Amino acid sequence: MTTFLINLVQLLIFPGLLFCVVFGVLLAGIDRKLVARMQRRVGPPILQPWYDFVKCCGKETIIPRYAKRAIFIGAPYVGLAGLIVIALFIPVSTYGSAFSAGADLVVILYLLTVAGVALIVGAATSGSPFAGVGLSREMVAMISYELPFVLVLLAVGRVAGTGTAIGCTFSLGTIAAFQAANGPLIAHWSLIPAAIAMLLVIPCEVGSHPFDIAEAETEICEGALTEYSGSPLGVFRLSHYIKMYIMTALFCAMFLGGITTGIAGVVGIVVDVIIFLVLCGVVSFLCMTIPHAICARLRVEQIFKFYWTIVAGLAAVSLIMVWVGL
Amino acid sequence: MTISMAHFPILAIMVLFLGAFLVALFGRKSEVLRNGISFLATGGAMAFMLALIKPVMIDGEVITYWLGNWAPVSGWAIGISIEVDALSLFFGLVITVAVFVSCIYAFTYMKEDDSLANYFTLFLMLSGSVLGLVLSGDLFNMFVMIEIMTFTAVALTAFRNNYEGAIEGAFKYLAVGALGSTAVLTGIAILYCQLHTLNLAQIAATLPQYADSPLTIMAFGLLFIGFGTKAFIFPFHPLAADAHAVAPASISLMISGVLTKCGVYGIIRLVYVLFQNVEVPAVQYLVVGFGTVSMFICVTMAFNQHNFKRLLAFHSISQVGYVIAAIGLGTALGLSSGLYHAMNHTLFKGLLFLTAGAVQHATGSLDLDRLGGLAKKMPKTCILFLIGAASISGLPPFNGFASKWYIYQAAFEKGSTSGNFFFIFVCVVALITSVLTLASFIKVAQSVFFGQLSPEFKDTKEVSLAMRIPMWILAVLCIFTGLLPGKVSEYLLTPATNAAMNAVNYIDQMMGQGYAVSHGVAGSLGDTAVTFAGVWDPVIWLLLLFCVTCAVAIVAILGSNRKLGTREAPAALQEPEKVAPAEAKYEPFFSGEESVYSQVGGSDLFWGFKHNLKKYFSFMHDWHSGIVNDYALYGVVAIAFVLVFCIAFV
Amino acid sequence: MLQVNYIGAFCLIVLGMYCMIAKKNLMKTCIGMGMMDYGVNLLIVSVGFHDGGTAPIFVISELSRASFFVDPVPQALTLTSIVIGACTTAMALSLVIMAKKQYGTINTEQIRRLNG
Repeated sequence: MTTFLINLVQLLIFPGLLFCVVFGVLLAGIDRKLVARMQRRVGPPILQPWYDFVKCCGKETIIPRYAKRAIFIGAPYVGLAGLIVIALFIPVSTYGSAFSAGADLVVILYLLTVAGVALIVGAATSGSPFAGVGLSREMVAMISYELPFVLVLLAVGRVAGTGTAIGCTFSLGTIAAFQAANGPLIAHWSLIPAAIAMLLVIPCEVGSHPFDIAEAETEICEGALTEYSGSPLGVFRLSHYIKMYIMTALFCAMFLGGITTGIAGVVGIVVDVIIFLVLCGVVSFLCMTIPHAICARLRVEQIFKFYWTIVAGLAAVSLIMVWVGL
Repeated sequence: MTISMAHFPILAIMVLFLGAFLVALFGRKSEVLRNGISFLATGGAMAFMLALIKPVMIDGEVITYWLGNWAPVSGWAIGISIEVDALSLFFGLVITVAVFVSCIYAFTYMKEDDSLANYFTLFLMLSGSVLGLVLSGDLFNMFVMIEIMTFTAVALTAFRNNYEGAIEGAFKYLAVGALGSTAVLTGIAILYCQLHTLNLAQIAATLPQYADSPLTIMAFGLLFIGFGTKAFIFPFHPLAADAHAVAPASISLMISGVLTKCGVYGIIRLVYVLFQNVEVPAVQYLVVGFGTVSMFICVTMAFNQHNFKRLLAFHSISQVGYVIAAIGLGTALGLSSGLYHAMNHTLFKGLLFLTAGAVQHATGSLDLDRLGGLAKKMPKTCILFLIGAASISGLPPFNGFASKWYIYQAAFEKGSTSGNFFFIFVCVVALITSVLTLASFIKVAQSVFFGQLSPEFKDTKEVSLAMRIPMWILAVLCIFTGLLPGKVSEYLLTPATNAAMNAVNYIDQMMGQGYAVSHGVAGSLGDTAVTFAGVWDPVIWLLLLFCVTCAVAIVAILGSNRKLGTREAPAALQEPEKVAPAEAKYEPFFSGEESVYSQVGGSDLFWGFKHNLKKYFSFMHDWHSGIVNDYALYGVVAIAFVLVFCIAFV
Repeated sequence: MLQVNYIGAFCLIVLGMYCMIAKKNLMKTCIGMGMMDYGVNLLIVSVGFHDGGTAPIFVISELSRASFFVDPVPQALTLTSIVIGACTTAMALSLVIMAKKQYGTINTEQIRRLNG
């Protein structure tokens, strides 16, 4: 009974639903504020994303004539649920992950795809031509970042699995244990190109500027979300914020694990978790805020070419170096 | 004569052929008789195969049966044999289930065609020959079954000969397929010349003495490429595209789900049991190389297609590429992941082809550029299509994800333990192909089911329940095999893998104990224990997803302060204002109330991807020229390449 | 003596493949398919030949250890293969007839509506 209660708390509060929402909103708010400051504007208050979400939920939901109601309304909830389930599998510093026996890195890769597919299916069912163009661009963006992501996963899996029987691993639990014993993986200099590649993959996955071609407000009226309004729209926006937390947490778990204070007991765990969250914030600043403030939006074929040549090249260099044994 | 378990395999095959004969005699007179005989024949074959699960899969027996009781004389096999071990039964089960589903689907789907007695005769002959192929223990018997299979498949492809391109597709299939058949027969002739026997067990026992002779290696190359033709691997894939596109949907299910598996079965028997050379690195490169190239080229070709079934055909070959690449790895995990994916491929590809058939039946068109918005008119077919699309793209928790996950692990592990970078490259290509498959099915979903309904299809109706039941059978099997990978592995995959890797047992069961060892055949190949690099438990994940969805939905419903509902627009806005003709020409510049048909689908999607790879796509388009001579040329070049590779490196 | 057979079989197979690759007429493609089949049949029969052996047809009382006959199994294989070849040729020719009716031509460069 107690394990069931503990699991329920993990699911709903930490690191599940409530925590993801709170921290995702914080990250998104800080990101917007910093971008504004970098562009010499005042910027919205830090909790603005939360105000946006609450206001959306208060508006009326209009369902287009061509849409199938069940899919149209259900898609954002399924996407959000998928993302929160991912958060349950990522090991948060010394606290560990809630259900590490349930999924590994490849599964997380596919679950992120499920979240993207939820957006695409919701867009497809709305029947608007803007949504059609938007989902096409979203899919091309997904194809673009998958190749470098896969190469990074394989490189990390190989290094973290050097102690195991088969010499490689996909399991996040094993990666966390390896880093707890040997220090963060980013210290292996052969993995630095992979870390840079991963930093570049994060903004495309999250869909933040300059890789937000799928939601180009100026071209296709928000693309996939054109026909959405009311609480489904709010939930899609919330998923966007939560994705920021998930991707930065994944990066920290893969490359920056093992940065702990070493204090034992509950106090130690709390301090380590706070350090983890601060690192998430730093990663978010590096890979999402800075490009957002500086760069213009890339076109979809430029995104594809960028990811499949430069970013994939970096990740491939890392993979080959890891393989050769450097 | 008592009927014992040993008679079940031959009875299963005979029931199908007898059914074909009876339908040919009586089918013209009565539709009920024809449908009844077909149903009983396919159902009976499936029942026999299911009855064999307990002894063969669970208890580990091998059923052997000499036709006509011609048992071996002084160590020489003189009769035709049937040997059913777990590997054969695995394929037998997959085949009979697919045949049964195709049969009941065809009852309604083919209703408006004439000469249906011919259809069912040919169909039952096709089923019988395919079952005979996988259960046979004799090499020439396998060849005869391959020929019957090709012949009937060609006839059935051309069945709707009023369709555009049906005759053309069938002729190309026959002509280039003849290359493959010639290769198989030449291989068999060379093997006979060397070993003077045609029995699979005896060949497996006596082959190791001649393993280095160039004749044997040439036979291996020819047999490999011959069986590969039947599985439509790389240079033979345009045949598959043409044949699938024009065949009736129930036959497309058979070609992609059953005939390709026969080619795969042939390759497994070849490398694991007959020649036992799957541990030779050159052979691994050959098999895995062909699989990887098929995988990648076919999935990129699918982006250019306008015909629903032609696109599905390219994906079919891409998934078969996964299977062959996994089999070629040579490890127990590799083989079992390949078998798992083969089974899943039959299930989800069959489901997709049947939904394509439903769309064709309801609308009469398969053109992705013209269809759209069918989810409103055919909602149940839409759900079935989404289940199939999610399975093939590898989304959790469906079966495609489970088997692809096993394949990635197998490739990654093989790369790690052997230190060879080629297998890591294969793993990366496999992962990329998976996301490209997802993209392709999003394109189809948007072009066919979602988006806007074209005015020419506004009268379509949902297909009848009789056509939906076989689709639901396949969809439920897809979901179950995805949710229970552990059980599938325990009951189906592990026995099959162990049977394939343990050639000694295969030989001894057929020819008598100790035969294999007396001829110097080594023990089983490699280690059959399986260790995983990762973790996946679909039941935990589904429970979590369900709980979180409930939580989120509860919060959302409690939080919203207005009920979700549709509301009629005010009366003033419902009737668009009529514009005087003189001013109609200004209408486009004022966005009015009239809704314009503007479907974004088919060729309009994925511009960014296609733009960057323009040169590649235009080269591929020209390369698949549609001329039978070109396809024959590619086939001959492939045969020559395999022969040279084998003689040089194996 | 037997080398001639093998070379001939090989030449027939290669000529059949050449016909299928180079000739633009559907009838010639069918002829090429047939020639490949005949080449393989010749190969199989030659595999079973023993110099000086008689035909393998005996009354059971005449059969003894000293009887020296050619291998009957390849002859059975060849018979089966000839039958299969006949069926395949018949099927191919009927498809050619229907193609002529539908397309009006049997030039392979014009029978290519399924491409890309």
